[in-house]
Amino acid sequence: MKMRSLGYYFKLYGVFVKNCVAASMEYRFNFWMGIGVEIAFLCAKALYILIVYQTNLHIGELTPDHILLFIGTYTMMTGLYMGLFYVNFVRISQYVQGGTLDLLITKPVSLQFLVSLRYIDIGLPIPNILAGAIMVGVGWHRAQLPLNWNLLGYIGFIGIALMITYCLMLLPALLSFRYVQTGAVTEMAHSIWDANNMPLDIFPMWLQRIGVYVIPVFLISNYGPKFVMGMLNLWDILWALLVPVILFILVRKCWSLAVRKYSSAGS
Amino acid sequence: MSIIEVNNLSKTFTYYEKKAGLRHSWRHLFHREELERHAVSQISFNIEQGEAVAFIGPNGAGKTTTLKMLTGILHPTSGHASVLGYTPWERAKAFKRNFAIVMGQKSQLWWDLPANESIYLNKCIYDIEDRIYQDTLDELAEMLDVTRLLGVQVRRLSLGERMKMEIIAALIHQPKLLFLDEPTLGLDYASQKKVRQFLRSYNEQKQATIILTSHYMKDIQDVCSRAIVIAGGKIAFDGRIDAMKKAFGDYKRVKVRFYEPWKEEEVYQWLGAHAVVHAHHGDTLDLQVEHEAIKTVSRRLIEHSGVEDWSIEEEPIEESIERIYVQQSKERGLNVGQEQSRAAELQSLEA
Repeated sequence: MKMRSLGYYFKLYGVFVKNCVAASMEYRFNFWMGIGVEIAFLCAKALYILIVYQTNLHIGELTPDHILLFIGTYTMMTGLYMGLFYVNFVRISQYVQGGTLDLLITKPVSLQFLVSLRYIDIGLPIPNILAGAIMVGVGWHRAQLPLNWNLLGYIGFIGIALMITYCLMLLPALLSFRYVQTGAVTEMAHSIWDANNMPLDIFPMWLQRIGVYVIPVFLISNYGPKFVMGMLNLWDILWALLVPVILFILVRKCWSLAVRKYSSAGS
Repeated sequence: MSIIEVNNLSKTFTYYEKKAGLRHSWRHLFHREELERHAVSQISFNIEQGEAVAFIGPNGAGKTTTLKMLTGILHPTSGHASVLGYTPWERAKAFKRNFAIVMGQKSQLWWDLPANESIYLNKCIYDIEDRIYQDTLDELAEMLDVTRLLGVQVRRLSLGERMKMEIIAALIHQPKLLFLDEPTLGLDYASQKKVRQFLRSYNEQKQATIILTSHYMKDIQDVCSRAIVIAGGKIAFDGRIDAMKKAFGDYKRVKVRFYEPWKEEEVYQWLGAHAVVHAHHGDTLDLQVEHEAIKTVSRRLIEHSGVEDWSIEEEPIEESIERIYVQQSKERGLNVGQEQSRAAELQSLEA
């Protein structure tokens, strides 16, 4: 039954992706212009590589090659967040304000799934993911890191980071059910997100602890590269595996409470 | 057994009031007095399988709130309800599979895609078999006469065509129970008529239960056999539509044309307390007459030499309902602004 359910949700997600791609293709001019703009953005993002090497930035034992690995992971995760989640989370406030949630609530499918994953922006993540992947590739190669099971581990950590991103960034959006407009909280969440732009080693130890154990935002783009560089111990890995589970349970609870608070809008 | 059972269902909303002006906005930032509005107050009713029931009432009466509680969108403040054997606000997936809701002011269609893409998404959500899906889609599209429009981008459809697509999307899983919240809102007469015909035949052919809210009496009379009038969050009437007139006062409308213009006070002198002038334009007179007084008024009209022509008609049902709205307003001591809002409501009802 669980497997059937999983298959059912994958199939639905496939229809969401198809609809989003088809919807963007309905406007031909915008579609082709969008691709052109994304290519330009991709070139701009690639300049990061030059900047890192020209400034010859070193953080502790981390060389520019290692730092590029961190920045590349951050860039990739930003693309995934913007393309897969942000487009949905930003709509929650509109759903609550306009009462659009009414019709979604009546569908025999997880409301959280429907609301938080219904839209996918194909254009937004492309330059970030490609540029991020190139940065990771260059950093990995130049730092002479082995390309063995490390790669599988890295991909696993990207999956964990995706789960953490989903949960951490959805939580502030849920405040919309109570306060309707929550733009300020979203801005704050994005500022915290930007702290991932650099390796966590640049922050004081107390802030690192908060970013790993209280609001585990540093796990998103730090743990993947650290794993590849052999800088994670067993406890770190176990913690990284545990965090998405804890956060997902927390999000489910908060979601249920938030939806119960939903008072719809006058019609 | 009843398909819907409602017992003492209530819903109270909290809200804030603020006077106009920046000074009050500033004060409002620090202190807000929370007020309560009883949108629905201890209503009870049952609905049987296959019934078509109209919820009638002015704006803010509690119709849509009741509908939202019965579909699980809102949690009630108190009371119980059972719909298809489920408690709606528990939102069980099995419950949701068996009903559909169409809201005239809200859309489930993807604006940038042809309607068939949104309908296909519903097919996947409701996990409908391919053959059943295709048969149902063909049947519904044919009934609503929109087969050729299924592949047209939703934003390029007219309001009436879009509503028909909304109905198809809502009914693709063949629900036993259909909630419709003002489905003909803003539609032209031809589209309204088509939607009404469709709902009537869907109700008859599929034995589906229909709960309808509308401000158009034609919708209610054509689709439903029973009406529940809600005013001020309470049920003011529950019964057959043809019994509503008697419940709200059995009046006739007498239209008289004179050879020459008359003054209103002359009419009252002539007819006494037997009739109330509803409208008076020079030589034409529109009278509201109680059923018992119709013989007396007719006799006086026949005997009067100044009367050129006259007719007796049934009073429009919306005017019967108007009385209960006005009565409720008076009982609740509503202010002038609210009365004006009610008047606007009644105008739309008459339209």
